Amino acid sequence: MGVAEVFTEFGDIYLQSVLSTWLMTAVCFAGGLTLGIIITVLRVSPIKPLRTVGDVYVQLFRNIPTVSLLVIFVYALPYLGATLPYRTCLLACVILIVSAFASENFMSGINAIGVGQIEAARSVGLSFTQIIRLVVIPQSLRTTVLPMTNLLIATLLTTAMGSQVPLTPPELTGMVNYVNSRSVAGISAFVVSAICYAGTSVVLGFLGNRLDKKVRILR
Amino acid sequence: MSATVSMRDALYEAPGPKTRRRVAIGTAISLVALAALVAFVIRQFYINDQLNPRYWSFFARWTTWRFLLTGLMGTVRVALMAGVLAIFLGLLLMLGRISSNKVLSTVCHVITDLFRSLPSLLLIYFFFLVIPRYGLKMPSFWMITVPVALAASGVLAEVFRAGVNAVPKGQTEAAMSLGMTHGKITRKIVLPQALRIVIPSLVSQLVVVVKDTTVAYVVSYPDLMQNARVLISNYDALVSMYFVVALIYIAINYATNRFSIYLAHRSGSKIISRTEENPV
Repeated sequence: MGVAEVFTEFGDIYLQSVLSTWLMTAVCFAGGLTLGIIITVLRVSPIKPLRTVGDVYVQLFRNIPTVSLLVIFVYALPYLGATLPYRTCLLACVILIVSAFASENFMSGINAIGVGQIEAARSVGLSFTQIIRLVVIPQSLRTTVLPMTNLLIATLLTTAMGSQVPLTPPELTGMVNYVNSRSVAGISAFVVSAICYAGTSVVLGFLGNRLDKKVRILR
Repeated sequence: MSATVSMRDALYEAPGPKTRRRVAIGTAISLVALAALVAFVIRQFYINDQLNPRYWSFFARWTTWRFLLTGLMGTVRVALMAGVLAIFLGLLLMLGRISSNKVLSTVCHVITDLFRSLPSLLLIYFFFLVIPRYGLKMPSFWMITVPVALAASGVLAEVFRAGVNAVPKGQTEAAMSLGMTHGKITRKIVLPQALRIVIPSLVSQLVVVVKDTTVAYVVSYPDLMQNARVLISNYDALVSMYFVVALIYIAINYATNRFSIYLAHRSGSKIISRTEENPV
């Protein structure tokens, strides 16, 4: 079965699958960034227990394998009184993991600013909120464009874990299984999925690079 | 780590009495909230009868741990073999990419970017579902090891390239002025230094490899996760087992990360990870 035949027979579901993979990637990335910001605020707050919680959170979720977290959500949580739909489980897992890495990126963005700048800002009489708003946030956002682009691509690749739970439509990796269990597609289904992943990554990487060139701070 | 702490603290001025009081109140509130959260989780375990000793007592038995350790050895075997393969392949891809041969360089560039932009699970499915259709039977060990190694080799090629770029230009120029050939310069001057620079990054990349091996159950290779599943069906204790296994993985990866940070600290080099590279 050639690539063209895979398209004529499974074209519709492939389109749905690509769209659903993109949508999941977007949702997970947006959710991960939002949660990552909250975690980062905890980690730089002056309140010690909150800092520790933020640090421990990041270490837990950047070191746990995605499957390990996914099986806890899918199989263990129902025993603890929370049964969630498969898709929600997947999205929650990816968001938790992405948020830990996003917070690491934000932290290194903040660390790249340098203590001297904060001291300088304070000596010209800026208040705490002004320092955060005018000095810290703009600079740390501009230095994190490239790491965040890589994180976005990593998010796309992490959604492949969706192939481990039944989803309708299946996402791109699950499609290889879906097509192979319904016909003798051989290598074609793999090639189509691979092209979709690689194409998406190339486009995202290109856009990220352009944005980075525009806003990068030369130090 | 020290940089993190100093920057965190630099954001705040030395607190006055009012601020100190506010921080104290905030600390108290957050401690109470934290305790409430922990209590909620424990209550959730308790009311669902998951604290029942029959779900936890088998962890006191040596046979349980022996079986988990056997699985862990499987994980280590796959991870180390995949790591060695990935280093070898990544090095080849990088050398191809920096070679003066345009065709070879482009081919290696494309392969590197392709492996970096595919999920390892897709590659595993390729070896598990696609290859057998063409009559090639592989043992389950290689069905998990090879795809994990391929996925890592793309990232490692970029790590090696960053290492080569980090070797000062003057080294190559000095070697050239001594009349060394291009190949000899790469072999004797650039590579030995570049390899030393990337050692901490290679160790930290092992974390990604270990994570990728956790789907070994797809090809039914007995790794830690797979053996945990067997124990779950034996003891009928799913929740406790999945949590313990997750903690084991976290501990391994955390230790690996700390070790790579220690190595980087000692040699004064920077850890190059996926996040700092150029996107695909």
